Amino acid sequence: MTPFTTSHFRNMLLCIGMLLLFTSCYSVRLISTNGAPMPDQNDRDDFYRDKKVVVLDTVIKANIAIDDITIPVKRLGCQSGKLFSVEYKDTFGGNLLYLITFGSKRKVKIKYVCMKPEN
Amino acid sequence: MANTTSHPKTHWDTLHKNGPFDLKLLQITQLEGKANMPSAIDRYNDAALEIQRLIKEASDNNEGFRAYGARWSMSSIAHQKDRMHFNSHMNLDLPVFPENVHPDSPFEKSNLFFFQCGNTIKEISQALGAHGKSLKTTGASNGQTIAGCISTGVHGSALDVGSVQDYVVGINLITGPNPEDIVYIERHTKPALANSFIQKINAKVIRNDGLFNAALVSLGSFGFIHGVVLEAEDRFLLKRYVKKINKNTALKLAKTMDFASSDFRIDGEVDTNGKPKRPYHYKVFINPYTDDNQYVVEAMYKKPYTSTYPDPFSTIEKSVYRDLIYLLIKISEKFPKRIPFFIKQLQKQILPEVNEESLGTLYETFWDAPYQGPAFACSFGVDTKDSEKALNALIELTKNEGPIPGIYAMRFIKKSEATMAFSKFPITCMIEIDGVLWKKSRNLMSLKEFSRRMIQVLQQNDIPFTIHWGKNSDWGFPGLVKYMYGAKASEWKEYRNSLLSPEMAALFSNTFLETIGLSDVVLDTENTDEELIASLLQ
Repeated sequence: MTPFTTSHFRNMLLCIGMLLLFTSCYSVRLISTNGAPMPDQNDRDDFYRDKKVVVLDTVIKANIAIDDITIPVKRLGCQSGKLFSVEYKDTFGGNLLYLITFGSKRKVKIKYVCMKPEN
Repeated sequence: MANTTSHPKTHWDTLHKNGPFDLKLLQITQLEGKANMPSAIDRYNDAALEIQRLIKEASDNNEGFRAYGARWSMSSIAHQKDRMHFNSHMNLDLPVFPENVHPDSPFEKSNLFFFQCGNTIKEISQALGAHGKSLKTTGASNGQTIAGCISTGVHGSALDVGSVQDYVVGINLITGPNPEDIVYIERHTKPALANSFIQKINAKVIRNDGLFNAALVSLGSFGFIHGVVLEAEDRFLLKRYVKKINKNTALKLAKTMDFASSDFRIDGEVDTNGKPKRPYHYKVFINPYTDDNQYVVEAMYKKPYTSTYPDPFSTIEKSVYRDLIYLLIKISEKFPKRIPFFIKQLQKQILPEVNEESLGTLYETFWDAPYQGPAFACSFGVDTKDSEKALNALIELTKNEGPIPGIYAMRFIKKSEATMAFSKFPITCMIEIDGVLWKKSRNLMSLKEFSRRMIQVLQQNDIPFTIHWGKNSDWGFPGLVKYMYGAKASEWKEYRNSLLSPEMAALFSNTFLETIGLSDVVLDTENTDEELIASLLQ
């Protein structure tokens, strides 16, 4: 049995710290049960590995009267014009920005994948 | 015209990051648009010309050329160090009308479909679904391309059906840059397509059982697989059950496949005599690090299709933070004894939920398997009668010389007619260990060392086996292919050397083929047997 040393304790603290960091943001993904994702040869290391993903990561200026925001899907990277998956990421920083600017700056982090065109 | 973009590269990797491997050029062909070339056959033939141009270019540069699809294989079977072609955008399907079927064909005309190489199992399933048809079986998921599936022997656990290649009844190969190098191969005893259809795709027809069976599991080395004809069947539903049953019952079933006399009984899944029915699919999950006297098993029973069944896509999938997995692996590399504990903690994510039930089509049951980080899988095929002995030997190895970060499963496949199919036993039990890829450390052996020990342990126990072509192994193990296939390996090489010119045999070869000793090129063309690949039916 390996004795419990200071370095073990440090590692454990690091693990707890990382777990707290993980939970400060999360993603929700909507995915189509039909159609195939647009393929891509990329080096990503997440859900989008080998999928052509379009990332929208921006801050949209709004004002207190603005309710919803609509973003069109661009032709580039979306030949079929049909969506396979959409992911929205909620971050602690984004929520904080919304709060301290009274909703006039809205952090938007969306990833979407289009359908592979049928030939 | 179809057009190809070429991307200079330094390396290439598999989906599950089992590399990296050196690569000079990655080529991606896009088909001509439907608006410019409305006929699917014209676009298919146009793509064939483009592939021939790429083959000529590679040949002129004295370089190799190899196609790949979804890069799901974990072995280096798909890799070529010179030029690799990404097939995924080549996803045409050509309609097969009753008049396109050979007059002697034993197949139901409405069950024959022609798909281009880059169609994935998912795309094919959807296309068939629109005709009220289904594939007979798939792997555990749906992202592989059809050409990749048949080249490597992708399988599920349909014990009386077989692997993906077993319902392919015709193959269109491009074996070189010249017009006569487009061939269509099928069995002379089971022809599928009429000559008139084959002429439309500008192919020379060869109806020859021996050649077809050799080219079926070709390891990607019989030329560029441009299209396949497959036999579908009427759409059906699968009722799926996950149960925890006595370990001895689960292993006895794996050994005998005798479900009728078994204690394993599911309410409602019995015949008119009250005996348990034989399932369509049977799978056993084994955590090698627990001494539980019960195993989790998954059984599926075929049901007639009806449109009134609940939507099977009702569960919300949750993924573990990937960084957490990486952290656990780093800890495991340093402290391997923690591996069994981590596996136990992640058991809910790894194993299906006990007493889970679902009903859906094959397409809905074996759905998307999202990428979950670098992974490994070692998979051995043994005769079902040896399944318990082989499993125990491998578990002992894993416990005594590991632990290894993975869990075992057993799946079952009917014998294939393909010359180099690893499903070579009457029913082959595939014993597989899947898990998270790790790096060798002072306390944990490498994946290659573990794979070598698995081979040695099975040989020491005198258990005949095969290895899944697309999975991790010590592929350079001396005499491995001879041990697994004996004379069949020589037969496969003879067919390959008779079909391909020496230049093309070298062009379609790769390091994997050289490593396993199947790349030998016959340079004496006068001694190649023309009769061997003669068409035996008009």
